[in-house]
Amino acid sequence: MTITAPTPGSPPTPAAPAPMPDGRHSLAQKTRRLLGSAIPYLLAVVAAFAVTAVIILLLGHDPFKAFQAVLTTSFKTPNGIVETFHKWTPITLLALAFAIPLAAGRFNIGGEGQLILGATGAVAVGITLSDLPAFVLLPLTLIAGTVAGSLWAGIAAWLMQRFKVNEILSTVLLNFVSFQLLDYVASEVWPNVGAGFPATEYIGKGAELPTIGKPPMHYGVLLALLVAIAVAVWMRRSVGGFELKAVGSNERAAKVHGIRAGKVAVTSMLVAGALAGLAGAIEVTGVHERMLEGIQSNFLLLGIIVGLIARGSVVAVPFVAFGIAVLEVGASSMQRAAQVPVELVLITEGLILLFLLASDVISGRIKLRRKRSNG
Amino acid sequence: MNTIALIVTAMVPYILVAQGTMISGRAGIFNVAQEGLMLLGASVGFLVSMQFGSNILGLLVAALAGALVGFILAWCTTYWRLDQFVVGLALFFTCVGVANLLYRVVVGVTTSPPLIPLLPKVFLGQNAMVYVAVLGSIGLWWWLYRTNSGMRLRSVGENPKAADSLGVNVAATRLWAGTAGAALMALGGAYLPMVYTGTFNDSIVGGRGWLAIALAFFGGWRPQFILLGAAFFASMDVLALKAQVDGIGIPHQFVSMLPYVATLLVMIFAFRWARVPQFLGKNYDRESRLVG
Repeated sequence: MTITAPTPGSPPTPAAPAPMPDGRHSLAQKTRRLLGSAIPYLLAVVAAFAVTAVIILLLGHDPFKAFQAVLTTSFKTPNGIVETFHKWTPITLLALAFAIPLAAGRFNIGGEGQLILGATGAVAVGITLSDLPAFVLLPLTLIAGTVAGSLWAGIAAWLMQRFKVNEILSTVLLNFVSFQLLDYVASEVWPNVGAGFPATEYIGKGAELPTIGKPPMHYGVLLALLVAIAVAVWMRRSVGGFELKAVGSNERAAKVHGIRAGKVAVTSMLVAGALAGLAGAIEVTGVHERMLEGIQSNFLLLGIIVGLIARGSVVAVPFVAFGIAVLEVGASSMQRAAQVPVELVLITEGLILLFLLASDVISGRIKLRRKRSNG
Repeated sequence: MNTIALIVTAMVPYILVAQGTMISGRAGIFNVAQEGLMLLGASVGFLVSMQFGSNILGLLVAALAGALVGFILAWCTTYWRLDQFVVGLALFFTCVGVANLLYRVVVGVTTSPPLIPLLPKVFLGQNAMVYVAVLGSIGLWWWLYRTNSGMRLRSVGENPKAADSLGVNVAATRLWAGTAGAALMALGGAYLPMVYTGTFNDSIVGGRGWLAIALAFFGGWRPQFILLGAAFFASMDVLALKAQVDGIGIPHQFVSMLPYVATLLVMIFAFRWARVPQFLGKNYDRESRLVG
């Protein structure tokens, strides 16, 4: 069930230098491995863009103008850069929320619902306690969102552990429940009647994330970066992370060695929910200053795409997320510049993933043939 | 229309999509792209009906589009042995993108969405698809449990190695089952704009694809129980709708949650009873010495 495919770029010839005596790899080997594993990514991106170009041509537009708009918008203006980082934040957190349970062989498709619950928790604290000073209120708001998201994921984790309910289904169904909850909170509990669409009142000033620079970038970006680093360290350097991967790669073997697989899987879901909840709290405190309908945007889809393109590697997630954020920010300007519909970007992203999967197959075949021809 | 008639009408997409899930699953392919396939079916079915003025043609082309996606999934998981959930999710996104793109390209942005004619009522105030779905389900039961080819399909989803050793073509079975299953899912999606509103929008499916997976588990991957279970899912749908229109004293949002919450509760039991095909979600490697 894991997608930790064998690194396609492992030494191409049998004559490749052996690992050094202490079991470590030399720097040259590491670089070669890294470059080798970059090749399928490049091929997948190029192939996906080629297919997209054909679609754009068939629609009667100019693919080069469209690609130029998609790829440069993020870097042309300070606004574009800030917008890209603001998109990068929730995408990264949701991708981690997908990748962490994936490492334990579980699929969390409920990032959307966990994000909405996180946003709900954040507005609940941000509105009811709005008079508190910022140094108390802001942390409380973020914590409330994180806990709410974690609890929401906890429902699915409990159903999975206690009743063996498939977690793909339970997390998805909870998303649909959360949409109604959002609508209820935004139109009945703390409604902002003047908004014209379901939206809550604004949270207290003390609950807003501080910003830096001009145009202002909120500190949630930095927070997400720290969280991403912490998750990477936890996964690679801690006992918990090791147990997580052990359960994912062979649950029975892990159990035989005394790892409590059920507990590990539940923990992975709770952590995932916490990260998605944090994303919701950051969206509330940093971007919207309230909760509104559609706050979840398409971050769930993007998070899953990023998690899968990164092959579940939490180290790769922030980098892939940046690429996807660039595409997303570029998408709307592509529509303005080349009249190409925004929806096309989702197809491109789906194609990148499909081609990446296909490239594994191809590189696997090549390796097999080499092995055979070498006897 | 009275409540029973509404429920029967609402059953059709659940039946079609869950039976499609069941057929794929009986060959070992766990399709998770239902939600995307239904949206693709709805978009293609709507657009073809609008352009050519024929609902039947719309349904057929939608099923073909679904079949193509199903074939890709079956190919990737059978010959390339890629992870079924990963490919399924990738196809889900791509289908959503294609469905919305097609609508945007053909219709564009309009203030008044175009309409297509609804399916005509043919018998007892129900449209023809109702009879296709119900009789088709009964036919599926008969085929699956009373014919040789049905047993071959079941054997592939239970123990492909044993089936292979007895001369069943495992790869071919998986290919056609995955293709036919996805065609049914897209057909279920195409039904939606043709019975309710006559229009298409990107939230028309509203989770029915995911609920249909739950229904396949609820029905124990057996066509006859899926048919019965669809009545439960459809009545939740109708109940939520009715309560929203009439108002029953609690906020309508909580009523709208009902189908999803009820499904979650039902799954607690369903996953205990459910007889799931043994090889569901796995890929068969003929050359591997390991069992399964």
